[in-house]
Amino acid sequence: MSGLVIETTGLRKEFRSRRGTRVAVQGLDLAVPAGGVHGFLGPNGSGKTTTIRMLLGLARPTAGEMRLFDQSVPASLPSVLGRVGAVVESPKFSPNLSGRQNLLLLSRSIGTPDTRVDEAVETVGLTGRDRDRYKGYSLGMKQRLAIAATLLKAPELLILDEPTNGLDPAGIREIRDTIRDLGESGVTVLLSSHILAEVQQVCTSATIIGNGRLLASGTVDELLGEGTAHRVVVADTSAALATLAAAGLNASLDADGEHLVVDSDDGAAITRSLGAAGIWLSELTPLRPDLETYFLELTAADTLGTTTGDPR
Amino acid sequence: MIRLLSVELTRLRWRRAVLMLIALAVVVPAVMFAATAWNTRPVSDQELEQARSQLDNRYSQRDLRQCAREPQNYGLDLDAGEAGVAEACEQQILSWYVSRTPLDLAGESKEGTLLGVAAVVCLLMLLAGTTFVGHDWNSGSMSNQLLFESRRLRVWAAKAIAVSLVALLLGAVVMTLYWMGLRGLAGSRDLPIPVGVTRDGLQVCARVTALAAGSALGGFALTMLLRSTVATLGVLFAVSIAGGTIIGIIGSDGSARWQPQYNLAAVVAGDVTYYDQSSVPTECLTGQRVPVDVDCDGEQTISAAQGATYSGVVLALVCGASVASYRRRDVP
Repeated sequence: MSGLVIETTGLRKEFRSRRGTRVAVQGLDLAVPAGGVHGFLGPNGSGKTTTIRMLLGLARPTAGEMRLFDQSVPASLPSVLGRVGAVVESPKFSPNLSGRQNLLLLSRSIGTPDTRVDEAVETVGLTGRDRDRYKGYSLGMKQRLAIAATLLKAPELLILDEPTNGLDPAGIREIRDTIRDLGESGVTVLLSSHILAEVQQVCTSATIIGNGRLLASGTVDELLGEGTAHRVVVADTSAALATLAAAGLNASLDADGEHLVVDSDDGAAITRSLGAAGIWLSELTPLRPDLETYFLELTAADTLGTTTGDPR
Repeated sequence: MIRLLSVELTRLRWRRAVLMLIALAVVVPAVMFAATAWNTRPVSDQELEQARSQLDNRYSQRDLRQCAREPQNYGLDLDAGEAGVAEACEQQILSWYVSRTPLDLAGESKEGTLLGVAAVVCLLMLLAGTTFVGHDWNSGSMSNQLLFESRRLRVWAAKAIAVSLVALLLGAVVMTLYWMGLRGLAGSRDLPIPVGVTRDGLQVCARVTALAAGSALGGFALTMLLRSTVATLGVLFAVSIAGGTIIGIIGSDGSARWQPQYNLAAVVAGDVTYYDQSSVPTECLTGQRVPVDVDCDGEQTISAAQGATYSGVVLALVCGASVASYRRRDVP
């Protein structure tokens, strides 16, 4: 027992066409531990959706191994699929059927009672609109219906590919809270999203891929590292600079010349030094790299480093 | 599997395009039945009286005189000297003015509207099988379905059984109702019903029912292979236009035996006779004296069994390719 909910080893996917072979995923090793929300990040075309589709049996890998709940897939997919809820890319339902009819067909195919549909519809806030035709739904409603479909199984693993696409801010918050709650309730959520701030807010761990390869993986804290600087706002910046320098702290003015940036992760030392000199801080903010910055740096480096080796 | 089949039957029931095709498969035969009943209705006394009044005009009188002299020219197998020639000629000329053929059950079952209904039902069931699953591919909901049941062979089989069952049931009901309706109509008009004609008609109905189910299955399987209703219809159109020509070019001798339309017609009608020049001995074509024992007929027959075997093999090949493709290829 590895304790991993998702595990891939050397996963590879090639698409062959008349124009040649395109490698979408090349030797990807992915490990998603049980519980919590795991971000799955990468630029467009990096192989995220292809990886998800291979895990769910919609695409056949060219090489490599995949395991869900410690069982090899796609061989054991029929036995583990009941524990997995997934939204892959955009929601896909029959446009002429109502949202409820679409859910009923899926629900009955796995033998769950029809009452489960009512519960799922209520959970995603579609009550009252579930009997409308799917083709009349807004993009946000379609997303909600797709999430409702994943809840029909009471999944232990939820794979969500851009689940907040098209949602309004209130809807995004609702879905974010739902995802967070699910993660805290013991459901493992694999969240593929381009909205990195959102990922940072809900994810406990993340994997970043580029060009079909693993670039980084770990908890969000591990990926971002500790903050190493502080931003300081004081009335007299010149006096503050001199005081900090006297205290052995390296400080400088930021780009707009109004605030100080102190190269130290010790906020207490900064406060003590300035306070002792009678300089009172109006703001002290730890400067921590966000996921977006980290992601952009990582993927840019990958693109630069693999220009000649890019399989595409 | 039963659960999946039930879901697919529900999906079929909820799909409007399929319902419309099923409704058409009921309405069109009903209209054809009404048209047949109307076109073969007995001649009324009023119509007969109107026709008799036409006999008084000079053209009819001239025809009556000529007919009396040479009845054979008017399709009457009588000598001019025989009694009753004048009566027979009058009836013959009269029939021109009330030119309505009474319902002929034997003719209906062999080359009449029963075959037309068969063509309509089979074509509509083919379209139903195509559009049923074409919608799944077009909307992308196929992938969603596979997220709930990943065993693709089961999904394929459940859908295939659902469309075949519906076509089988509809074909049986529509064909039997149509034929028994014609039988009842003939009975109500006191028309002679030849011995065995009811059974022959029911046999046609049974074969058409099987063909309708096969058409639905074939349309379904081809669409699962091509993943598009439009592509399937395009291929079927191309085959119907160019298929016969290609078979004719590839197989020079006896190619007519492999023409799809002859084999399908054999299944429906019981047998089909066609002319095959390649089966005619050379001496029949050279203009020389032909020995008595040489058959220069050139007519060949495809039996219902041969037609069914041909159609079954084609259907099995399409289904095999469809299953293999569905199981192996990525689903968008």
